[in-house]
Amino acid sequence: MPDEPKRPELTLDELRARIAAAGITIPENRLNMVRKLLGEALAPLRSLDSRKIRPLEPAVTFDAAGPHVGVGHE
Amino acid sequence: MSDAIAFATIRELGARYRKRELSPVEVTRALLARIEKLDPALHAFVTLTPDRALADARAAEEALRRGDERPLLGVPVGHKDIYLTRGIRTTGGSALFADWVPDSESTVVRRWQDAGTVLLGKLITHEFAFGLQFPGHRFPPARNPWNLDHIPGGSSSGSGAALAAGLLHGATGSDTGGSIRGPAAFCGITGLKPTYGRVSRAGVMTLSWTLDHTGPMARTVEDCAYLLQAMAGHDAADPACSTRPVPDYVGALDGGVRGLRIGVPRNYFFDDADAENVRAFEDAVATLRKLGADVRDLKIPAFDLSRSFLLIVVAEAFAYHEQDLRRHPELYGEMLRERMLSGALVSGHEYVQAQRLRMQICADVAEVMKSIDVLATPTTPKPAPTFKMMYDPELAFPRTNMPPFNLTGQPTLALPCGLSASGLPLSLQLSGRAFEETTVLRLGHAYQRATDWHTRRPPV
Repeated sequence: MPDEPKRPELTLDELRARIAAAGITIPENRLNMVRKLLGEALAPLRSLDSRKIRPLEPAVTFDAAGPHVGVGHE
Repeated sequence: MSDAIAFATIRELGARYRKRELSPVEVTRALLARIEKLDPALHAFVTLTPDRALADARAAEEALRRGDERPLLGVPVGHKDIYLTRGIRTTGGSALFADWVPDSESTVVRRWQDAGTVLLGKLITHEFAFGLQFPGHRFPPARNPWNLDHIPGGSSSGSGAALAAGLLHGATGSDTGGSIRGPAAFCGITGLKPTYGRVSRAGVMTLSWTLDHTGPMARTVEDCAYLLQAMAGHDAADPACSTRPVPDYVGALDGGVRGLRIGVPRNYFFDDADAENVRAFEDAVATLRKLGADVRDLKIPAFDLSRSFLLIVVAEAFAYHEQDLRRHPELYGEMLRERMLSGALVSGHEYVQAQRLRMQICADVAEVMKSIDVLATPTTPKPAPTFKMMYDPELAFPRTNMPPFNLTGQPTLALPCGLSASGLPLSLQLSGRAFEETTVLRLGHAYQRATDWHTRRPPV
């Protein structure tokens, strides 16, 4: 499949839509700071092919031989 | 009190106690007086515990008379104020907990107490250990003893400032994106973020479960080794805490560094770095080479993706604080509040992708670490900024060199390696393989034996 164009940076409109969906309030004079923060954090994700990065597996691990805490089976 | 006592190492203090040249009560009284004199300008302490300190010191004195050999006996310490202390106020640097006195305590607090330390008090933290400190909130921010107009770094800001000013001999810190190493770098002290799972986080306020680490801060690598020895080890109360045996950290310090393979990743860590930070780093690397280490340059492209750590921090911090943020938003500092709220804007699939990306970074770095013992980088690309710079309302989150190792969970040490032209400390970061604290401590100790940056004192 040919390379698709990179997704654009987080826009203020997209940020406002996310804020409305989350049911929170962020003052107008902080929107740009939050847009920068999220934009920087999202940039590595948006530059990647999500089918190629590693899966989050195994979701459950256990050591049958030793003591363990949390999820597992005897 | 002479500077020689205020800045003595843990080993020196113990030796002088045992020769009866000094007593824990004498040292504790002198440090309380020093705190009274210096802390009004530094704001390192949020709560002082003089009665408790003197009681601990008397108990240590008694134990010394009985011939007790514990190395931390009578050593004055403080705890970052996100470590719960039974019967002692624990604020988290927040208005939400401004008067909270817990009836339980963290595992690390108990372990240090069992080791015979003297608790001088609680050290201010950035609000809920988030990496930025803003004005106008409940507690005044700690200031950098090297220059009061500059930040001491954070979030373990009080720990860094107090150690640099010679107000105590050891402190706890926590590190989610550099909160041990940042204050260590900016205050000219030494701090170790141990491997994820090496030290218990039970009874320590959460910022971001999958990134939070607890660890020691001190003035020297050797002191960090002593303090780590008394912190590390399995704790069933922290589900991430490892059952691996704890090695002898102090005993391993003198192993030498000849042949140790040190990799210098030339991407990511030098972006936007100041020339003097780079120069100090290169000098440090030259010293390590002279000591016999095999130093080679590398590129690790995965590190270029590590800014995604912010997504994990804000999403997990919001998950932890959601109820309080929705019910009592006014009790959060204005600028922290919006940063934490931004976690509500991260979608489920984005959080999952960030964790997948993290697994990729971990795998790529683990592959490199098969042929490298330690990665060396500058801890920060610049010296400590001024408060004024940090108060820029447009500043989202400063870029630093520390979060990659929160993502990978590797043990990572920050130690002084120079001074800027303006007299601010510069720092070297050494990161080893998981659970190989002994290797980074050994390398750091060798560096401190060959240099004197860790002995420089701020003009307080």
